[in-house]
Parts: sequence; structure tokens; C-alpha cells
Amino acid sequence: MKSRIRLFTLLVAVALLIGGLMVVTGGASAGVALKGKVAVILDVGGRGDLSFNDMGFKGTDEAAADFGLQMDAIQSASDADYLPNTRNAAVSGQYDLILGVGFLLTDAFNTVAQEFPDQKFAIIDSVVPQPNVMSIVFAENEGSALVGALSAMVAAYYGYPKVGVVLGIEIPVLYHFEAGYRFGIDWGNKKYEQITGTNPNIGLLWTYTGTFSDIAKGYAASQAMLAQGAGLIYNVAGPLGIGDLQAVTEAVRAQGREAGPPFMIGVDANQDWMGDGHRVLASMMKRVDRGCYKAVADVVYGTFQGGIVSLRLINRGIAISRYQDLLDFIQFGINAGAITEADKPKIISNWLEMRSKIPYWIWDAVSELEMKIVSGEIVVPTANTIEEMQAIRAQYPLP
Amino acid sequence: MKGLGLISRLLPLGESLLAGLVGLAVGAIIMLIYGFNPIEAYFALFRGSFGSLYSLSEALANATPLILTALTFAIGLRGGLFNIGAEGQVYVGALAAIAMSLFKLPSGLHLVLTLIVAMLAGALWSLPAAILKLTRGVHEVISTIMFNWVAHFLAYYLIANILVDPRRAEKTISILPSARFPILVPKTSLSYGLLVSLFWVGLALFLLWYTTIGFEVRAMGFNPAACRYAGIKRWRTALFAFLVGGLTAGAAGGVHVMGRPPSYAIFSGLGGLLNLGFDGLGVAMIGRNHPIGIVLAAIFFGGLMAGGRLMQISPGVPLELIRVVEGVIIVALAVPELIRIFRLFREKITIWRRG
Repeated sequence: MKSRIRLFTLLVAVALLIGGLMVVTGGASAGVALKGKVAVILDVGGRGDLSFNDMGFKGTDEAAADFGLQMDAIQSASDADYLPNTRNAAVSGQYDLILGVGFLLTDAFNTVAQEFPDQKFAIIDSVVPQPNVMSIVFAENEGSALVGALSAMVAAYYGYPKVGVVLGIEIPVLYHFEAGYRFGIDWGNKKYEQITGTNPNIGLLWTYTGTFSDIAKGYAASQAMLAQGAGLIYNVAGPLGIGDLQAVTEAVRAQGREAGPPFMIGVDANQDWMGDGHRVLASMMKRVDRGCYKAVADVVYGTFQGGIVSLRLINRGIAISRYQDLLDFIQFGINAGAITEADKPKIISNWLEMRSKIPYWIWDAVSELEMKIVSGEIVVPTANTIEEMQAIRAQYPLP
Repeated sequence: MKGLGLISRLLPLGESLLAGLVGLAVGAIIMLIYGFNPIEAYFALFRGSFGSLYSLSEALANATPLILTALTFAIGLRGGLFNIGAEGQVYVGALAAIAMSLFKLPSGLHLVLTLIVAMLAGALWSLPAAILKLTRGVHEVISTIMFNWVAHFLAYYLIANILVDPRRAEKTISILPSARFPILVPKTSLSYGLLVSLFWVGLALFLLWYTTIGFEVRAMGFNPAACRYAGIKRWRTALFAFLVGGLTAGAAGGVHVMGRPPSYAIFSGLGGLLNLGFDGLGVAMIGRNHPIGIVLAAIFFGGLMAGGRLMQISPGVPLELIRVVEGVIIVALAVPELIRIFRLFREKITIWRRG
């Protein structure tokens, strides 16, 4: 009896050993030996923008939690910090992946990636042509075309002559937004004419504020645009949206209402929940979080590759905000401390009411444009240089 | 007597050490309150500042422009001037250096000319404050602060419109490789620009202590009434202090853009140039407004900045808290010199009141 138990124990032990060995070798054959840590480096925009940087943080944080990794966030106080911060992370040798959130980190990543060829890097919004860098870029022009069409038609519907866009620092990434928005407004004008018989000729007011951090500049620019008859303001400067929305809110309240118009259009994150759910009509979602998540997941699965990863409408890296996004991102706002759990039902009902007031044929038209972009029937123009941008401005002047 | 001299020279060092310890202790308490382990954090701070050749190089790279802007302030103060115009002169020096890369010149010549132009631009920018002081009696604190802002917005304009990189609108064109300081320690931010700072330290020592004008400047700082009596010309000493200060501040801006990888450019918003002048003020205070003290203080200051970055990585202290701790340490270190300056100014006022 005793010997049987012994034999049984032995068998179990052998089985466990073999099983364990299989697991170990299985792990090894996939080529994954993880150190268990990822670093996310932020540019001067920093945390708390409820937009670009927070999205990068969120995506990396979620991936780290899902895969049991530890995440270290490294902020940059000035552009003199980009290179040392990146290098410090690489020198430490403790990271499976060093993830840069933002175009401004380009030069630093390009330098350090060459110094540490065995370290894996990923960068959002920029192309760093090194074999160990995954460059994650977005087709912001596609999403901007959708909100452009929506803006033009909604402005026309509510009788406004203009729409506005408040941009940040003049970098190529922002040209994608401007180019797409111009195309979208033009498309929306034409579509509106097709449906109603009159072309509203919605014009565009646009300004590069030269900052991604000075919220007051967003407020000032938006106020000026609203005074010139803008019905919607598209925020393309991360945290400046907080200032944009302040101006929009004041304009709405001046008419004795709480709900727009005028509206803001959110960017990067879903910002629809801001403004009590009824002053941000929609958001051009650039899923920086999904890009970051993908980079971490690829490292964990052993499928990480250098090169360009393009996220666009067709793979949901770019999207116009919908109901489910609102629910997801209300939680994001609660976590950030911008709103509380108690605000949630009111925001949702406000949002539904706001959206239902826009006629169905406008939403249909936006969906039509989306399908045509996804199918490739419509190719939205984009720009990477000032010359290309000027050509598009000439093609779609939108006076 | 000789022994007493040594002790009186070492006394400031002792004071600074004590002040530094107080600063570290207060910083530790703040970190404890926020739930971070101060020992771990300070260990990271040390490792990131002086723990390796790489860290030391980063500390020295940060110190390079600070030495120069601290000299600007120190030379002014030695001559009884409260010149805080280094900030604006740094911008102008950096812009002038960038502008020099609009031209193509042979390698060595380009570097030397760029540095000289940067220094001259800094000196030129200090001139209005000097002239206002000498002809209209405008206090230099007011005029230099105002000229800092003029430089600030001039820089905004030039960065976005004239010196802009056509392919990268967020920054200016980069300094051409022919005008860049080569990297001193490979794979670090430390360039040969450090030698410019050290050269100026030597020159400032020589000028202040081994020339007639230097003696006059220092005498003016000690006792303007006695100087007047001795026939020392006020305008000579003030002009000297402003112009030499302008040269060093201009050099700081030049060295920063010519020797700071990877971009060798100015970003819109002024990024890395911001506060170089004001940090220099702190460095001068900690270094007791003496060139040698300034070198030590700047290396300490630079180390604090470099090590602070590492505090984010290993104990995970957020950037905002790191800056609070750094600020506390710096303020503590500046206290002894601040007390001395206030005492000096009070004495001056009493002398002046007595007629």
C-alpha cells in the first residue's frame, strides 16, 4: 500500500516535471524571456491632458496589467530631457520595451535606438527608421474628414456660417488633421447641397496656437472663432480642449442654455463626456491606447517587429465616437478625477438627447463617408510638409 | 593668520554642507509624506548624478550653460549690480548661433565664429539695460526683467517664422555639423562645450582679481561711496559688468544649442533654454558668487537635474514631486549667501543714509 502511494507520488512528480519542462521549453521556443517591465516616456505635454498623453498612459497601463508587467512612466520637464530620459531607460537595461508617446521624442529615439540595438522601442506618431523601433502612426486625416463632414452639416443645420479648428504646435502630424478636416468640410457642404438643395458654404477658421500645454491659448482662440460665427470648434491640441470647451460653454450659457450648439469636437480620447455630455458633439478618436497596447502585446507574444504600423479607420485605430466609447471613457474621466460616478447617468442622458437632436440623415451621411473611406472608394488627402499643406489649403480654401 | 585664512575659506563650505543636509532632510520628509522611500530615492538621485561616468557626464552637460549664466549674475553682483538679464541674453545668444547655420563655412572656423557671434549677441542684448542704468538711472532689475520678456517674444517670432525648420515646424533649423561641439564622452550629452565654460571661469577669475578694472568692479561692489571718493568711474565698472555678463550669457545660449544632442536646435516654446538664466542665479548663490564656487555649485545643480530623472525610473517618484524636492534642496543651499547679500545691501543703505 505504502509503495503504491510512493509509486503514485513518483508518477505525479514525473508528470509534473515533464509538464513543467514542456512549459519551460515551450516558453523558450517562442523566444520570450521577459524582464517584466515596460517604460513609457511622455513628452512635455505630460499627464492630465485627458487626451493624447493620458491615452498613451492608459493603453500601456492596461497592457501592463493584462500581461502582469510593471510600468514606469517617465515625464519630461523640457525638450532637454528627451534624450537623457530615453537613454536612462535604455541604460538601465530593465525594460522589455521603451515606449515613446509623442512626435517630439523622435530625435531622442533615433539616437538611442542606434546605441542600444538589442533594446526594443516603440514610438507613437513618428517614423523612426531603425530595425528595433516600432513606429506607430495614425491616419488622422481619415477621422478628421468624418468630423469635418459632421461639423459642416451640423453647423449648416443650426444656421452657423463657420466651423473652427484650434491646433497645437505646427508639426506634420497636425497637418494630417487639418488636411482631413478641410476635405471633410468640403464633402459635408456638397452632401448637404445634395440633400437639401442649397450649398451652405460653411467656412473654416483655423489657428496654430504653438502650444500643447497653454490652455489659456485654446480658450482665447476659441472665443475669437465663436465670435466670428463658428458653430463647432475642433480641438486638435490635446489639453487646450479644456480651454476650447470653456469658451464653448460660456457661449452656450450666454444664450441661456446648457446644451450646445455651439459644440466642441474632441480629439484623441473620447471627450464626449466633457461638458456634461452635451457640449461635445463627437470626438475624433485616435486610439493611442490601442497603439501602445499593441506594442506591449507584440513584445509579450514575441511578435514584435520594427517598422511602421499604421492605425486607421479600417482597423479601428481611428474612429468617430459612438455610444460604447462614451461608456468606456466616462470611466476614464472618473479615474482622472474630472467627474464623479454620480455624474454618469446625467452625462449619458444628456449625450443621447444631444445626438438625437441631430437629424438622422446627417449621421447617415457621416456613415456613408466612413464606408467609402474604409472601402477605398474615397481617399482622403493628407499632408506631411508645409508645401503639401499649402496645396490642400489652396484646393479647399473654405472662405 | 594663514591658518585663519584657510578656515575662513572653508567656513562657507561647511555652511553649505549644513544647509544641504537640512535641504535633504526636508526633501526626505516631503517624500515620506507622499509615501515614497527617501533612501531609495536619494540613492537613485546619487546614482543618476555621480554614480557612473555616464551620470557624471550628464551632470557636467547640465552644468555647462549654468556655469556661464551664473558668472553673469556673479560678476554683476561683485560690482554691486543685480543683473538678472542672463535669461534673455541666453535666448538671444542661442538664436544668433542658430542664425549662423544659415551660412556654410569650413568646419573649425564655423564653430569659432558661431560661438563669437553668440557671445556678441548676448553682450549686445545687455547693452540697453546698461545704458538705461548709466544715463537715466533705471534700476537694472526692472530693465533686465523687461528685456528678458522682449527676448522671449522675439525668440517666439524668430523660431516660428525666420529660423524655422521647413520640414519640422516645431523647431528651428539645426546647427550645422560644422559648428557643433563634438561629443566629449561617447553616448552621453557631454560635449566639448564644457571647455568654453571652464575657459570663462578662468578668465573671470583673472579679470576680477588680477586686473585694475576687476579691482574697481569689486571695490564698487563693496563700497560705492569710497569708490567715488577714490575716483573710480561708475560707468566703467557697470559697463564692464554688463558686457562681460552678456558675453558669458550669450556663450551659454550658444554652447547649449551647439553642444546639446540630439537636436542642436531650439524648439518652439523655448524648451531646453527656458530658465537657464534663472537657474544660473541659484547656482551663483550656492557658489557664493565666486568662479570656483560656481563650478562646484553648477556641477551639483546639474547632478541634481540628471539624478532627478532617474528618481522617476527606480522608486517611481513623479516628476512634480521631484521638482519640489530639488527646489527645497536648492533654496536651502542658497540661504547662507542670501543672508550675506541682504546684510551687505543693508549696510550699503545705512552708509548711504548717513551720507
